[in-house]
Amino acid sequence: MILGVCRRLASGLVTLLLVSWLAFALIHAAPGDPLTSGSSEDERWFLTLTTEHQAEIRALYHLDEPLHRRYARWLQDVARGDLGLSFHDRRPVREKIGERLGTTLGINLVALVLTGLLALPAGGLAAWRSGGAWDRLSGAVVYALYAIPAFWAALLLQIVFSVKLQWLPLYGLISDGGERLGILARLVDRAAHLALPVVCLSYGGLAYLSRFVRASLLENAFGEASRSARARGVGVARLLFRHGLRQAALPMLTLAGFVFPALMSGSVIVETIFSIPGLGSLFTEAVLQRDVPVVMGLTLITSVMTLVGVVAADLGYLLADPRVRRAPG
Amino acid sequence: MRCSGRPLRLFPAWILLVLAVACSRAPETARATRPLRAGLQSYPASLSLIGNTDRNSEMIAALITEGLVAYDARLGVQPRLARSWDVSPDGLTWTFHLRDGVRWHDGAAVTAEDVVFTVEKVRDPTTQSRSYLSQFQDLVSIEAVDPLTVRARYGTPYADALDSWTLPIIPRHRAGADPDLLTGEFSRHPIGCGAFRLKSVDPGREIVLEANDGFWEGRPALDGIVLRVLPEERTAFEALLLGDLDLMSVTADLWREAQVVPRARRLARFVTYPLSAWYIGWNQDGSNPFFLDPGVRRAMVLALDRTRFVSRVLSDLARPAVGTWHPDSIWFDSSLTPWPFDPAAAGTLLDESGWRDSDGDGVRDRDGAPLSFQLMIAASSQEMTGRIAAWVQESLAKVGVRMTIERLEWKAFQERRSTHRFQAAMASLHFTPIPDQFELYHSTSRGRGLNYVGFRDEEVDRLLVEGRRTFDSRARLEIYHRIQRRIHDLEPISPLFHFASPVLHDARLEGLEPSPRGIWLIEPGPRRWRWAPPPGGD
Repeated sequence: MILGVCRRLASGLVTLLLVSWLAFALIHAAPGDPLTSGSSEDERWFLTLTTEHQAEIRALYHLDEPLHRRYARWLQDVARGDLGLSFHDRRPVREKIGERLGTTLGINLVALVLTGLLALPAGGLAAWRSGGAWDRLSGAVVYALYAIPAFWAALLLQIVFSVKLQWLPLYGLISDGGERLGILARLVDRAAHLALPVVCLSYGGLAYLSRFVRASLLENAFGEASRSARARGVGVARLLFRHGLRQAALPMLTLAGFVFPALMSGSVIVETIFSIPGLGSLFTEAVLQRDVPVVMGLTLITSVMTLVGVVAADLGYLLADPRVRRAPG
Repeated sequence: MRCSGRPLRLFPAWILLVLAVACSRAPETARATRPLRAGLQSYPASLSLIGNTDRNSEMIAALITEGLVAYDARLGVQPRLARSWDVSPDGLTWTFHLRDGVRWHDGAAVTAEDVVFTVEKVRDPTTQSRSYLSQFQDLVSIEAVDPLTVRARYGTPYADALDSWTLPIIPRHRAGADPDLLTGEFSRHPIGCGAFRLKSVDPGREIVLEANDGFWEGRPALDGIVLRVLPEERTAFEALLLGDLDLMSVTADLWREAQVVPRARRLARFVTYPLSAWYIGWNQDGSNPFFLDPGVRRAMVLALDRTRFVSRVLSDLARPAVGTWHPDSIWFDSSLTPWPFDPAAAGTLLDESGWRDSDGDGVRDRDGAPLSFQLMIAASSQEMTGRIAAWVQESLAKVGVRMTIERLEWKAFQERRSTHRFQAAMASLHFTPIPDQFELYHSTSRGRGLNYVGFRDEEVDRLLVEGRRTFDSRARLEIYHRIQRRIHDLEPISPLFHFASPVLHDARLEGLEPSPRGIWLIEPGPRRWRWAPPPGGD
């Protein structure tokens, strides 16, 4: 079993290297560099410098070195736990990511919990009365939801809830003067600010997960296999929790490993639209500014989190399923 | 049923929460004087005031601190920290006399040492002062003669050297303590001597400035300015409509929308024309048979109905350009008008230069070769580029000129343009507030400057050099008017349009002034903005 985990980690590390090299090569292939940012206005100041000054500034960013050398340098620094300095504002990338990590993790965690809390009962009910009115209705609704792009939903929600009804704030995480509110009021303020972004981040996952729960439960709790159990007098609750959900937990673990990175990528759009200073909006800014160290730092973190998710899911398998534990390797 | 009941009961809780917040929305807009709230598309690259400057950081620097001089709305240079200056007869030594009694936000006096320190910092490449670095390249030495006198020596006389002295000055006693200006303490809490002082910063989200009571010209009318980062312009626009924001620059789409949305009625609006022009450069280095002749170059513009295109396609958010000197600046020769739409005159000019349709195929030719050229454009996210190119193509076809369009990725476009491998190229050109356009038009700027088209004219060359060495402003004006007229005749590049930058703002905000440098980076700019007293006096 330990061997299996090690093997998994090793292959994950190789994936990580490949992903980082790919990201590094891609951002350098994109037009514009941090000195010209691709716009003619930015380009002008650089062109009017003397050649010596140009060279000096290029050297400052190591832009005078070949790509593989720069990648090696980045890799070396990362191995030492140093993500480098942002091209844009010269602040340490670790600090920039650190101050925004909490916001994004927090929002995504709330979204994840909400997704789970809604998907289980929605899927469960649909499975229990499979083919019934709720099943058909929820099926249609979640497929529709799954098809709606997040940026569109975000703008629509803003227009309905912030502009027309004026129930929820349009953007940000805190109201004007929100720092001076009491704890409870501040909590409500924060929740109101989070409502729309969280809904945007969770509805896609909700659609996916609820259908998934339904399918698993149909197979394990309400399907052919469970018929004999019921015949033996096993109650519905026992059937659902011991037979159904436990069986369904296995594939769900795998899913959970992937849901988190998917949420992170959703944050890129949602945070930009709602002006939330999180990792998603940082990523958008960094790509636009060709801020290679920040883009690389964020790519690394997202990749590591995906990897951790996948490995954790595998470990979950081991714990949940004795067959996997017994299997060699 | 039970299994679904519990989570669904969460919904009323959400609604309650929503209602609680909806009721708690404070009547924020009711106060008579409140800070101005403006949107930023991105957080400034640096708050160090002089280092790693981008547009937003320049704007914040202009609010927090001051330069020795500043531009007014018509690009005239006004004295600020320097109350006056003299130039030595050889034009190499500039002596600035600083205003007495100006204080930093912490109470210390602003002295010549601070000016010397700032210039030295800017000349250090690690400060990455971008535009300022290139402006001080020719500076030989700088010294503080006494606490209120600064002397700068240049290697060559340059009449537009004042432009660099718009540089925001920073306090030596604060910024000098940091080993690295860009990451040090000063860049987190910069202080200056300007009309506004930094109150608080929430990195990535918001910058709050408050009025400086001790400002040497008196406290500004606004109590403060809150700059909020709103990357998505649709969100910013909705915030403006809701009254959560007071001022923003918008794109053409939102400008059009604001004209029809009833909620936008309470907003005031105006446009500024930035220091830029949309132009086509005609490569005249002899590598093609078409554009060596000024008549052919002018014929191309005469074939374009720009007025109609502006009203039909560009929603009047542009105006036909006549040159690369901004029409709203003091340097502009107002006797010049954009070439009119005159296809007949275009045809005559082409006939005169020998381009006639001899074989009747609809395309003019000369010595058996058709007048058929390629326009190089950069394929960008702006679909406008493609639309303008298509319109030029269609208009030229009507006078017997065949133009094909080549779209290149931006980097490839730059590369081809700077190595002169093109016949005609269309792009947007940003220019500086100074009248000197040596880089664009001098024959020696073909290699390293912006003279991509290989324009060469002895008179223009001579006048450009003379303009740089002439310090008398009336004589300079005459020189630059002559250059403009000469260039207008020769049409080395064809400036097509100046695009507008529309601004929407709360109608009670007064004192905004459109200028080629936008609304923020001019003198007096935000210092004169104020809230109109509410009509009912609430």
